[in-house]
Amino acid sequence: MSAHTYKKFENSTSGDLPDKMTIYQDCMNTFNESPVNSKRCRLLISRLLRLLAQGETFPQNEATALFFSISKLFQHQNDPLRQAVYLAIKELSGISEDVLMATSSIMKDVQNGSDLIKPDAIRSLTYVLDESTAFSAERLLKSAVVSRHPSISSAALCTSYHLLPISEVTIRRFTNETQEAVLDLKQFPNQHGNSEYYPNSTYISQYHALGLLYQLKKTDKMALLKLVRHFSENNSMKNQLAKVELVKIVNDLIYRDPQLFSQFRPLLSDWLSNKFESVQLETAKLITSFATRNSRLVAPELYAAAISALQSLLTVPRVSSRFAALRILNRISMVSPEKIVVCNPELESLINDSNRNISTYAITTLLKTGTSKNISSLISTITNFIHDVSDDFKIIIIDAVRTLSLNFPQEWKSILNFLIDVLKNSEGGFKFKNSIVEALIDIVSFVPQSKELALENLCDFIEDCEFNEILVRILHLLGKEGPSAPNPSLYVRHIYNRVVLENSIIRSAAVVALSKFALTKNDPTLYESIISLLKRIANDKDDEVRDRATIALEFIDSARNKDDVIAQNLIESKYFYDIPSLESKLSSYISSNTDSFATAFDVNQVRKFTEDEMKAINLKRKQEQIFNQKSETTLDTTPEAESVPEKRADANSFAGPNLDDHQEDLLATKYADELLSIEQIKPFGQLVNSSRAISLTEPEAEFVVRGVKHLFKDNVVLQFNITNTLTDIALDNVSVVCTPEISDEAELEELFTLQVDRLLPSEEAACYVAFKKLDEIVMEGFLNNLTFTTKEINPDTNEPFDGDEGFQDEYEIDSIFLNAGDYVKSSFTGNFSATFDELPCEEVAVFNIQEDLSIQEVVDKIILNSSCLPVESTQFAPSDSNSHTLKLFGKSALTGSKVALQIKMIKSSKGLALKVHGKGEDSLLCSDLVNGLMQ
Amino acid sequence: MSSLSLYTVQAVLILDQQEERIYAKYYQPPHRSDEGHQLLFNSVKKQKEFEKQLYRKTHKQDSEILIFEDHLVLYKEYIDITIYLVASLEENEIVLQQGFSAIRGALDLILNSGMDKKNIQENYDMVLLAIDETIDNGVILETDSNTIASRVSKPPTNEPQMALDLDKGFLGAWGFAKSKFQERLQQGL
Repeated sequence: MSAHTYKKFENSTSGDLPDKMTIYQDCMNTFNESPVNSKRCRLLISRLLRLLAQGETFPQNEATALFFSISKLFQHQNDPLRQAVYLAIKELSGISEDVLMATSSIMKDVQNGSDLIKPDAIRSLTYVLDESTAFSAERLLKSAVVSRHPSISSAALCTSYHLLPISEVTIRRFTNETQEAVLDLKQFPNQHGNSEYYPNSTYISQYHALGLLYQLKKTDKMALLKLVRHFSENNSMKNQLAKVELVKIVNDLIYRDPQLFSQFRPLLSDWLSNKFESVQLETAKLITSFATRNSRLVAPELYAAAISALQSLLTVPRVSSRFAALRILNRISMVSPEKIVVCNPELESLINDSNRNISTYAITTLLKTGTSKNISSLISTITNFIHDVSDDFKIIIIDAVRTLSLNFPQEWKSILNFLIDVLKNSEGGFKFKNSIVEALIDIVSFVPQSKELALENLCDFIEDCEFNEILVRILHLLGKEGPSAPNPSLYVRHIYNRVVLENSIIRSAAVVALSKFALTKNDPTLYESIISLLKRIANDKDDEVRDRATIALEFIDSARNKDDVIAQNLIESKYFYDIPSLESKLSSYISSNTDSFATAFDVNQVRKFTEDEMKAINLKRKQEQIFNQKSETTLDTTPEAESVPEKRADANSFAGPNLDDHQEDLLATKYADELLSIEQIKPFGQLVNSSRAISLTEPEAEFVVRGVKHLFKDNVVLQFNITNTLTDIALDNVSVVCTPEISDEAELEELFTLQVDRLLPSEEAACYVAFKKLDEIVMEGFLNNLTFTTKEINPDTNEPFDGDEGFQDEYEIDSIFLNAGDYVKSSFTGNFSATFDELPCEEVAVFNIQEDLSIQEVVDKIILNSSCLPVESTQFAPSDSNSHTLKLFGKSALTGSKVALQIKMIKSSKGLALKVHGKGEDSLLCSDLVNGLMQ
Repeated sequence: MSSLSLYTVQAVLILDQQEERIYAKYYQPPHRSDEGHQLLFNSVKKQKEFEKQLYRKTHKQDSEILIFEDHLVLYKEYIDITIYLVASLEENEIVLQQGFSAIRGALDLILNSGMDKKNIQENYDMVLLAIDETIDNGVILETDSNTIASRVSKPPTNEPQMALDLDKGFLGAWGFAKSKFQERLQQGL
């Protein structure tokens, strides 16, 4: 390095930083100089810290050497230098050895330092102390906590907070001092050194003291209650952060015990009108998230007050307040949009907010509040500004609109027109166009009335579309939906145009789509034309296109002229495989390669769905997605960041019962696999239906049991998954005795019980009870008793003691009901009322529910009991009305016969009245389902 | 469920226009190694990647607050730098805003010739102190900018060994000055 550049760094504080080694050498030399040059030392420390902040690091021996020479600077009494020394000690303590050696110098400063230095010295104790030395700081920390100087007290409280994990015993010794510090309003001494600034106490030590106190008392509910009561009196909390912390403590308490909510009610409504926005916000957050979990404990007035607090926060000038309030409103809009309709005027004005995140939240929230009444006006509001915003914002809007279309199928016309308008008239990249097309595909599959109009417009769109992926998707959709449309020849023309004009990828997709039209029933004349078109394509210059055309011709020929069912299925697939189970089966097939793949993969093991079932599953999944979708997802459009971690973030407060849907699916597949691998079960044949796992005990019981009902054509198998939660007892010969409730009329004949031989602590095992069905549909309730022999475990071998004969014991678990719902699979229908009218058999029943349940709770229960698919988004009961009509559709799992239910509910002071009107193809199933609905 | 921990702030960053960090501090609650706090930030490489992405997301977007990769981020763009405060999603936005404005206010006070890259680099020690006095290991320590600024010492100005020892009286000072003056003259000759 030349003398010139060296001088440059020497001289001033210029922006460039010399290299690491130079800094190291400089530090080592200058810090060891005598006398100490404080100006230069501080400059060098600041360079050193800049280096560290940029991510550089030192090897341990160099760091230790640095630490050592820096601690030499303690001999020099100069406050500005001392502050820098503390910074360096904090930074280096992580990479240096022997940090303890600075302790005595630091402690000296804690006792005798100036007011400027003391807090810094106290805070650096966090870094130099460890488990074995923390106790030595007790006296110092205690006297600092009670110091009149706010900065000293805060520093001591924070340090105690940091040290808590390693020296809780020591910190506990000054619990009383901490408690006093919460209420002590500390002021800065009048003359504060020679500083040119005038410190103004915010009483923030209250916040630190309260945070520490909570950690010390968090296990003691009564102490926390007392604490909240004590600190909420007389406006003793001056600091807003401390107040927010107090709200959070209340939240913690009612989370543990919801019954406490009522006693906090006056306090909460008081806090809603607190002068601090942060307190209002936290309280509103608390009330609304509590209400989603325990809606009956929250008075409507309080809820409304929370909403109006949020509403007023929407109009404040501070961006983060608006943002925070919107975030909460957006979350509410996922579960109960009707409650925030009052905020719509404010939301509408926020659409044009300069903060893009706020406007995005506003629009998505607004769209969630859409009801059948205001949808068209909402749509026209969006139409006005969608052309002016950026692409990812547009995508968010389109997604929200898609949600609307699924929830309000009857409003498809305005939604479809909107989508078509943006598809054709707005500029945008692939992602944007793709999201529109996806929305359109959803509408076409779930709202059959819209099919013609949507397909026609998509046809126009592909005439002039630059994205291959989108073109291929649309061609696939045309092939799938086109043949059943009233006028299929229209689509053939558009598809064939693609063959003539586009590249090979699109041509091959078009060939597949074309082939599906050959067998259409709506226009038999098409057959000839398709054949001649395909023959022409068979001479294409691309081999993939040629191959596809040839295969298609062959299939069509054998399907039409030889009535070959397989060929027909290949052209128009009627079944869809369950993809997760197909995947797991395939991977286990590949991994268990015993005979180098001589045996072919048996695809029949994989669950199959018909198209309607598939749609039902998709619709359910999509609606649940919307329900579970976290507000955060909508803002972050990078695909990899989507959903998964956010679920965790908000799951606790805003998750519906369907959170682990995918896991449930996988679990069901796993259970079924286990079941079918049992020798005795194999003769029962194909598994027809399995229920979800039902808990039969309290989750904290000694033995946790979950039951699953499996249905075969002539048999029923009950599976009991038993977990032994005891730590030192093994269970031998575990079985479940199932006694039919009405034993003399039993229509089920018990065949055998498969017991668990030994269940060691914290293990889970399944026990099966198999029955033969005498009738096609059998409904039965079972009283269940767990029987087993307990044996004490020898902790050394983890086996029971030899010769221990054990105790014969029984344990009663909840009953399990086999009801009509277990014979039903949910299925989709595009036009409920038409289907309902067509079904031949009819059954009507009236129920009266005395218990105090809300309409929504009853709706959830019915959907679960009947295992039908709620259609026309009737699964969401309006909370502001006393009546509701639920529409359900399903199919028999055994025969596939359709069944539809229309349930009218009216809530009055006496309870809830239900009128169930069921129709179906199978009268027995229909009546059983209707009569057994509320079991 | 909002967290009751005092550890509210996950990071404070100052980035320049080249997406490079001028200052970066990721906070990890001390003595709690096993809790796996903020796994995202455990290596410098990941941190820098996060900073780059964050900068691209916020540059020229005057929105002050956003949600970015599961974090709540408050930020403010100045002429050639941007200051960020990163926190977890469950935190109270307005509380964070308090901490964030405290940092900004304090920096405004101590960098009296304006917030820009050059100024920050030249007064790096004061910037470090200001942030350190506002946030201690992720705990908001103080929210009043004046208090923070008053706790930030200026670098020592005059070298102590150069100061005249006034105890020796005026004559001594005169003698000292005279000898210095003579030295200079001789050097000049």
